[in-house]
Amino acid sequence: MNWLWWRRIFALTQKELLQFSRDLILVVATIYFFTGEVYIAGKGVSLELVKAPIGYMDHDQSLASREWLNKLRPPYFDVKGQITEQSTALKLLDSSQLLGVIDIPPNFQRDLLNGRPTEIGFQLDGSNVVLGNLANSYTGLANAYFNQEWMLKQMKVTPAQALEVPRVDVRQMILFNPEGNNAWFMSISEMMTVMTMLSLFLTAAIVVKEKERGTIEQLSIAPLTPLQILLPKILAVELILLCGIALSIFVVLLPVFKVPFQGSFFLFFLVSAVYVYAVSGLGLFIATISKNLAQVMIISILLLMPIILLSGAFTPPEAMPEWEQALIWLSPLYYYINMGYGIILKGSGLEIIWQNLLALFALGTVLFLFGIRQFKKQFGA
Amino acid sequence: MDFAVQANQVCKRYRKKTAIEDISVDVRTGEIYGLIGPDGAGKSSLMQCISGVLTYDSGEIHVFGQCIDSEKTAEKIKHRIGFMPQGLGLNLYPDLSIEENIDFFANLRGVSAELLTQRKEMLLSVAKLTSFKTRAMKNLSGGMKQKLGLICTLIHQPELIILDEPTTGVDPISRRDFWEMLNRLVMEEGMTALVSTAYMDEASRFHRLSVMHQGKVLEQGSADEIVSKSPGWVVEIETTQPDQVLATLRTQFEIVEQLGQMVRLVAFGQDKNTIESILKNLLNSEELQWHFLPIGLEEFFIQRLKNHSATAEKQLQKQPDLISKSHAKNNTADTSALIKADKLVRRFGNFTAADQVSFEVRPGEIFGLLGANGAGKSTVIKMLTGILPPSEGAGFVANQNMAHSGMAIKESIGYMSQAFSLYLDLTVLENIKLFGRIYGLTGQKLKERIDWVIKIGHLQSVQNETAGSLPMGKRQRLALGCALIHQPKVLFLDEPTSGVDPIGRAEFWRILVRLASDLGVAILITTHYMLEAEHCHRLALMQAGKIVAYDTPYALKQSLKQRKGQVLSFKVTHPYRALSCLEKAGYQDISLFGNRLQLFSKEVKDVSNNVINILKNNQIEVKDTMVLQPSLEDVFVDKIETALAKHELS
Amino acid sequence: MNIRKILTLSKKEWLEIWRDRVYFTMAFIFPFVMMMVLGFGMSFDVEKMPFVIVDYDQSDLSREYSHKFISSRYFDYKGHLKKASDADELIAKADIRFLLVIPPEFSKNLKQGKPAQVQTQIDGQFTYRASMVKGYVSAITAHFNSELTQDWFAKKRGISKQELQAMLAPVTLQTHYLYNNELKSIWSTGTGMIMLVMLVAPAMLAALGVVREKESGSIFNIYASTVTPAEFITGKILPYILISYINISILSLAAVLLFEAPFKGELSLLMVSNLLYVASAAAIGLVISTFVKSQAAAALIAMIGTMIPAMMYSGLMMPVASMAAEAKIEAHAFPAMYQLEILWGTYLKGQGWQELWPNLFVITGFLLLYWGVAVLRFHKRVKA
Repeated sequence: MNWLWWRRIFALTQKELLQFSRDLILVVATIYFFTGEVYIAGKGVSLELVKAPIGYMDHDQSLASREWLNKLRPPYFDVKGQITEQSTALKLLDSSQLLGVIDIPPNFQRDLLNGRPTEIGFQLDGSNVVLGNLANSYTGLANAYFNQEWMLKQMKVTPAQALEVPRVDVRQMILFNPEGNNAWFMSISEMMTVMTMLSLFLTAAIVVKEKERGTIEQLSIAPLTPLQILLPKILAVELILLCGIALSIFVVLLPVFKVPFQGSFFLFFLVSAVYVYAVSGLGLFIATISKNLAQVMIISILLLMPIILLSGAFTPPEAMPEWEQALIWLSPLYYYINMGYGIILKGSGLEIIWQNLLALFALGTVLFLFGIRQFKKQFGA
Repeated sequence: MDFAVQANQVCKRYRKKTAIEDISVDVRTGEIYGLIGPDGAGKSSLMQCISGVLTYDSGEIHVFGQCIDSEKTAEKIKHRIGFMPQGLGLNLYPDLSIEENIDFFANLRGVSAELLTQRKEMLLSVAKLTSFKTRAMKNLSGGMKQKLGLICTLIHQPELIILDEPTTGVDPISRRDFWEMLNRLVMEEGMTALVSTAYMDEASRFHRLSVMHQGKVLEQGSADEIVSKSPGWVVEIETTQPDQVLATLRTQFEIVEQLGQMVRLVAFGQDKNTIESILKNLLNSEELQWHFLPIGLEEFFIQRLKNHSATAEKQLQKQPDLISKSHAKNNTADTSALIKADKLVRRFGNFTAADQVSFEVRPGEIFGLLGANGAGKSTVIKMLTGILPPSEGAGFVANQNMAHSGMAIKESIGYMSQAFSLYLDLTVLENIKLFGRIYGLTGQKLKERIDWVIKIGHLQSVQNETAGSLPMGKRQRLALGCALIHQPKVLFLDEPTSGVDPIGRAEFWRILVRLASDLGVAILITTHYMLEAEHCHRLALMQAGKIVAYDTPYALKQSLKQRKGQVLSFKVTHPYRALSCLEKAGYQDISLFGNRLQLFSKEVKDVSNNVINILKNNQIEVKDTMVLQPSLEDVFVDKIETALAKHELS
Repeated sequence: MNIRKILTLSKKEWLEIWRDRVYFTMAFIFPFVMMMVLGFGMSFDVEKMPFVIVDYDQSDLSREYSHKFISSRYFDYKGHLKKASDADELIAKADIRFLLVIPPEFSKNLKQGKPAQVQTQIDGQFTYRASMVKGYVSAITAHFNSELTQDWFAKKRGISKQELQAMLAPVTLQTHYLYNNELKSIWSTGTGMIMLVMLVAPAMLAALGVVREKESGSIFNIYASTVTPAEFITGKILPYILISYINISILSLAAVLLFEAPFKGELSLLMVSNLLYVASAAAIGLVISTFVKSQAAAALIAMIGTMIPAMMYSGLMMPVASMAAEAKIEAHAFPAMYQLEILWGTYLKGQGWQELWPNLFVITGFLLLYWGVAVLRFHKRVKA
């Protein structure tokens, strides 16, 4: 690997970049994925309970029942009003106009005052599990606060006395994302998913394009080793995607979503570079088995899905079934997500992520060598 | 006179490019009308406008008297026309069988069931495809695909058929077959046909034609009429010392070129006797043989364009200084083969693409590999360049086995693959630079070589345009330049000139000839243009993976001449009727070229008189008679027919 | 419209798909794999959150409090640490998702009737899971507090615990999950995936089908023939509807068999709406195909153009009712939302024709709209 060797690599890398810059559709699509997609993901999906429409059937119409209902507070809930008939309630729930209906039984206040156990019903739409979980958790809390207050009131505790009632206060600190801003999480994972998709797709597309045009033959006849033919393509994809991710970070994540970038930019770009290298090996493999761009597209998507599924991007590993947890190390995205969130949100340094980085590099090398082997087989070069 | 098509001053522009400009064409009912010209001449656009599938910007088109100016009016004539777009078999469905393809087209056109059965049977038998009915289209040979395309276009009995380059990419024998089938059907069914082609030598197939170039019509009329506008002769001189003869003739004639063991001279504006006497003066007529050929459309085209554009003339006049002083003539006394195919075999599954192929190419030699599509030429080249490992045998370049060659040998190979294989989205300069750098050139050396490539390719004016925007001729010169940037000793060219206009081809070959003679480069080339094959020192003809003929062009033609004699060509008034009369009279293997009939004969005089008599008795007038030498195309057709016959026997 | 021409076109298209084994297999495997991956992959169940405790107090009371967390099924106890700072690395590496810190004077403060401050540090990476943890911690603490209060009253007022409990029965909140009693995310996401997958796949297949002909040039057969745009579009779309209908039926069955989702509603309704839905999805593909020339562009645009609205604006992630106004408009302007309502309605809510017929009506409307646009945009005499 002398000077001439690198000159050739450089010449070919330059060629790939030039070609990329001339393919308008590809450039526009790449820019869109790194900005538009990331923006939509950050803006679009909310996993927060915001103004959930709640109705109630207050059969008691007492002070206590009203007090209970008062505990359902914005911003979580939007209490819509009284419903008289169960059938109406069901209809509203069925049509998704309400997320849940509180059912306060008659004689609620009387029973409470007499120390009889009371039960409030909550019919909750479970079809959206996220919202179901959150709504249940928040109403449960509201009920607990009501109980606590009611107890003090019932025991006629004066405000001065109340201070002496022992209680545990929890100061809950949400690390890295104190306001629970979901846009951070979504935009970062989308950015990483886009990285995955493009390293897979661009690498495969660049190689298949040469195959379709027949230019790959011209290269295999030139005094170039397979590594010399393929490495420049990967270098070019690296450069393009690192620019892309810079675009994502500096145009979308930081200014629009105000993501606090805690760690080192350099480290993040280094990790990203290793990641592109790892995934591009798979891209080479796709290129060897597909005949045209359309096939590349379909196979990329098929491969992309297990990679995303196993990555922990949407479901953290601890929540996965065991068979999935056992396969997690196969997904390069798993390492990338871990390191990526680590660096961006948690400010992790190399000392924390080095194991992941090493594992990713090892996995990448295996994939890359596999890709080159397939390519060699096909072109006999 | 009834007109099937009347196009009047039609213009069509795509975004930046003008495709056709002020074109007027009239096609009479019942004739075969040709649009002839190189790639990018505007033939396809014009045909699509006439078929009502493409809009145009100005002018008027009438088809059967119906003005085609909107989607609605275009619909009115669509049941009367059949249109076959460009690209061999591209409008057919690869996964469907022959019969399914035909049925699809018929049902699409609402052909009734009885008519379909009847026509399908008739057309399949004319095309000799009946026994392949159930074969999937993708498994057909090029010639079969082309005939199937024609059947599908004809299935609904259209009155006008429009065929866009039906013969491009097909070998000469399939082309002959195709023309015969078309001729027969057009005459039997009283159809009109509008056909385009890039092959100038097909001009004589048409009743009338338009010669097109860069969106304009250069000439219109019958082939004879057109050519007679610049009368002249082509003289082929056989010689053992082409260099000397060439030099001598240059003093008197403008257009002289060397074709292997032959010198070819084109003289415009002089009659036969004048030329004859000049030749007698210049050359030793006892040692040399020459024969006269009428001017073909190809020569005419070059001449016409020369007058047409100054730049074209400059290109032809200026002989570029091919050999920069840094590398003077390669005087290697070593004449051992630079390229050697040693019993190369390549199998793909059950299919043998190349079967025991052996040949040698020496330094300074241009070796032509001819054959139909799928005959195995590209496979052989791929094995010789090391892209494809052979199943058996070995390919050698400079005595190195290419199956496991090192990097060093790759530096001495130049390669131009079948499809244009440079980067269309890079500029001319970027392409050249890239390949220079791949081959390790740097600094001053790289600059020198880039300048050299640009100079020999006449690419100065387009340096910064993308390769994709260049016309075919320039693209091919660019590709050649890139293949030559590292001064290879061996050059592989896989159909480098298909779709290139005659001027571009002439220019291209001039470079090749100089490379071989002055630099001692060994060149292996494949081509479909028989005229180009004449340039080669030796030829190998491939059929179904095997070499069926292997000799110099001269020897090949001589042996055919000895076996079958010379070619008699009659221009007649009623060619189709004349054909059947002669067939009835027992003459076989007569081919029909527009209004000419051609047949082989050893006793030229007797047969000629005989034919004229037979035709006279049938009230057919013979307008002129010519005796021609067998061409390489005749050799090609003969060899392949022999090989096929042998195959059928075994 | 000539039926014979339409059938001819359909038959040819079908034969081509059928004989191209790679494509054919892809057409069936693609949607299935996509559904499996997304269905099993997007889990929103929050359980077994790994956590550690730092207990600086080490008293009975602190242990009692800790135990409430350790025994919760939502949390996965990973052990005690000596100092809070020891947890930093574990959290950074995502080995644990939260940390509970009990301060030194925890029991002393409580016994003196003072509030005791405990602290949690929750990994905020997965926002939704962080808020769930927060909720669980609060709930456990509230429960612990009410016990503390009761103890306090018992001591202060000298009443026995039993008496106290007789006086103060707390309100219990009984949540009844409608439609998805066990709140299994796979029931809803799994059935929702049918909507997503069967919008993307038919659109992509149909778009590729037409553009492939444009690329190869066989589209000229249509241009040059007497087939009308309506016949062409109809003939072209039928095989894709057939394939997609088989696919959506397989997926609908897979939701019950593999995701174990219930099916409570009217099957006939689902079968009809499935057909109309895949037809309108395929029609979207045909509309796309009239805009593009290359297969790559067709696949890309079909992908983006269907995936995003189906994912973001269908109600799959976020109920349409809580969307912003523009998003609401976008949701209603696409068949995805209506099909999702039908899917969830029939699978989970036990609905049928009576409730959902307007949705069928709307989906049919979309189908006709897309079909019409494709027909109008398909020109047999092109500009370039």
